[in-house]
Amino acid sequence: MTSHSPEAGQSGKTSAAGTSRLAAPDAAGSSDAQGNGASAVRLRKRAGRTGRAHRSGRGRTFRWTPYLLIAPAVGILLLALAYPIGWQLVTSFKEFGLAQQFGQPAEFNGLDNYIKIVTTGETWMVVVRSVVFCLVNAFLTVAAGTALATLMNAVPKAVRLILQVALLLAWSMPVVAVMTVWNWLFDWNHGTINWLLVQAGAEGYSRHNWLENPLSFYGVATVIIVWMSVPFVAFSMYAALTQVSGEVLEAAQIDGANAWQRFKGIVVPMVRPVLMIVLLLQIIWDLRVFTQIRMLQDRGSFPSETDLLGTYIYREGVGASHFGMAAAMSVFVLLITMVAAWPYVRSLMKEETI
Amino acid sequence: MKKLTGLAALATAAALALSGCGGSDKPDGSSGKDAGDKELTLWLAGNDTNDDLRKYLKDEFSKQNQGWTLKIETIDWGDLVTKLNTSLPDAKNSPDVVEVGNTQSPTFTNVGAFMDITDMYKELGGDDLLQSFVEVGAVDGKNYTLPYYFGSRYMFYRTDVWQEAGVTVPKTLDEFNNAVITITDKNPRGIKDFSGFFLGGSDWRNGVSWVFANGGDLAKKDGDQWVSTLSDPNTVKGMKQLQELQQKASKAPADAKDQSPWLYINDTDEASEENSQTTNTALAAATIMAPGWAHWSIGDPTIGADGQPARNDGGVIIREWNPAKFGVFVLPGNDGKPAPVFAGGSNIGISAKSQHPEQAKSLMKIIFSEEYQKMLGGAGLGPANSQYVSSLGDDEFAKALVDSALNSKLTPAAPGWAKVEAAGLLDEFFGKVAQGGDVAKLAKEFDDKITPVLNNG
Repeated sequence: MTSHSPEAGQSGKTSAAGTSRLAAPDAAGSSDAQGNGASAVRLRKRAGRTGRAHRSGRGRTFRWTPYLLIAPAVGILLLALAYPIGWQLVTSFKEFGLAQQFGQPAEFNGLDNYIKIVTTGETWMVVVRSVVFCLVNAFLTVAAGTALATLMNAVPKAVRLILQVALLLAWSMPVVAVMTVWNWLFDWNHGTINWLLVQAGAEGYSRHNWLENPLSFYGVATVIIVWMSVPFVAFSMYAALTQVSGEVLEAAQIDGANAWQRFKGIVVPMVRPVLMIVLLLQIIWDLRVFTQIRMLQDRGSFPSETDLLGTYIYREGVGASHFGMAAAMSVFVLLITMVAAWPYVRSLMKEETI
Repeated sequence: MKKLTGLAALATAAALALSGCGGSDKPDGSSGKDAGDKELTLWLAGNDTNDDLRKYLKDEFSKQNQGWTLKIETIDWGDLVTKLNTSLPDAKNSPDVVEVGNTQSPTFTNVGAFMDITDMYKELGGDDLLQSFVEVGAVDGKNYTLPYYFGSRYMFYRTDVWQEAGVTVPKTLDEFNNAVITITDKNPRGIKDFSGFFLGGSDWRNGVSWVFANGGDLAKKDGDQWVSTLSDPNTVKGMKQLQELQQKASKAPADAKDQSPWLYINDTDEASEENSQTTNTALAAATIMAPGWAHWSIGDPTIGADGQPARNDGGVIIREWNPAKFGVFVLPGNDGKPAPVFAGGSNIGISAKSQHPEQAKSLMKIIFSEEYQKMLGGAGLGPANSQYVSSLGDDEFAKALVDSALNSKLTPAAPGWAKVEAAGLLDEFFGKVAQGGDVAKLAKEFDDKITPVLNNG
């Protein structure tokens, strides 16, 4: 039981990127299939119909099949998620450090961990930094992804294929490999970026250290994260764009709408549901970003100036062995994520019920 | 209905978000053993213990314990604390014998992670064992971990560049400081961003020597509480000297740690050789401070049969020490004796949860035997038992290692020390000083941060 605690903190290291990337193909698939959310509506209608049939028909036999079919999925979900999350919730109310990990009884300390979190100035600094970083990254990614999708929609097939292969390669690269390459590119001593800048005449960039200044650090992190996430947005948006009917656009063109007006007035409203889902996912992922920041920190910068929520929890949990505090911190991040996501989820629901 | 679907969606979002903080169940460093499996597990940190040493341990262990085999697992230094956290408390997954960094030892011995081996202390070498290491492995007079090997730090310098700048090997710390500043100012070869002495701004493990040499320290025990002593006048004095060196002699970034400083002292490095342009551009420093084993990475590339630089199995260029270009000396203190350096090295102990204490003790006896201790010395690792130090040999590296180790110091034996290191607090303090910050103000700020962590076991 106790052996799980550091993993709880550490897992961020692997699964922050791991899960988001794992979840991606699914999400891509479903938003693909949904197109403009129509299939979800269809599903719900069908469900309603079955319900009515059940009530009005000869409802003698209870239908076990659907429940049997979803049982394994629910079981796995419970095993894989409920136990660790439950453990995490319980731990967040305990004084749990290294001594407890080695067998001392862990005592409940009520809301102490949470009170410490909300009364520490550094926490709020990290929260503000994370939220700003996440919004900037999410919007940049979605903007760049949408632009690429529009491009893919407009270019001949051969060019599109090249673009898609390039995006897929970027998407399928393991994060550690990606970070190693980017770290080399931005290396202060041998980095290609510095070399190019010097070749271009910017002598001051010889041995320029990109990571020491926090703002510059976040700039580098943004370039890397946007680069890594754009393919997902581009593919999702491209799938959505292919669903926009050509006739409508043609009609608008005949009516004298220019390209920008058609994009703004017709294309965007039609792909809006996908756009919203993609943006929501990006916001959630970018709020939990861990691997990229951690690996940049290994390379340089002062952690206390560049920590985001993920690395802050990791340092607290694994670094300082305050597992109770780290658990509470994680729950706190979950609450922030839910608050941040709520308006989007609501508006998504609205779109779907129309 | 609408609300319900909204909640469902939110719950899914929550599940996605939480899975980042939840976690996998199985610690990856597990050494799963089946019942009745006659196998003892030894964890070694990093690759300092070479293959010959490992083979000897395995063979000797099987010989002395009929029917038993020794399984050696290598844990990266960076993962060690995390893996010890997850594995040591778990009888099913605990390794039996564990190497642990000497500065990490107190954190684990204080929570009872290691077995009391006081009864073996005499048999394993007793007072001949390196006492500073014995102390970090002891709690209340009882021995839990014992020294495994020691390393030390000394200076590697470019004899040719020093000569061109007209400076000689220093006898005191002040002479050293002035010499490297002079080299930087003269920059005899006109190399851009040249460092007379290259020291990463956040490299506290080497930089702390300036604190020690001025009579300062990182922390002290006041009654039964540990207190961070960065604001101590002597510590501040040492940090100010270091700051001057950082500003005037070293062009290393303020956030650089102690990774591979030898890259800057060689004429060529990997990057330029890979483009088959063997130029002198890599040389960027006249002096570095590094652990003794760095000398394997310093020198001129050896040329293989194909006319290209020869490489080892890992693809790293094999270098040959060239006495015409390179030299070593021990950092002098203000009194002319060696300045105290931060001792490298590690301790070794038996996990309190080991299921095979008999065999684990047998392995400890093999490790502390005369033969193995001499093998350690032969491999360039300082043997734990001072009787066998001569096995290190008598070349300049062995001399520098022994001389600097004589006056070496360890980090405070505070229960929370490993956490101070893991949280990167000292890296940051040294880095901010290197940036040119107000030393006294920074010292106060980091004292306030470090003191509570020191005592929190």
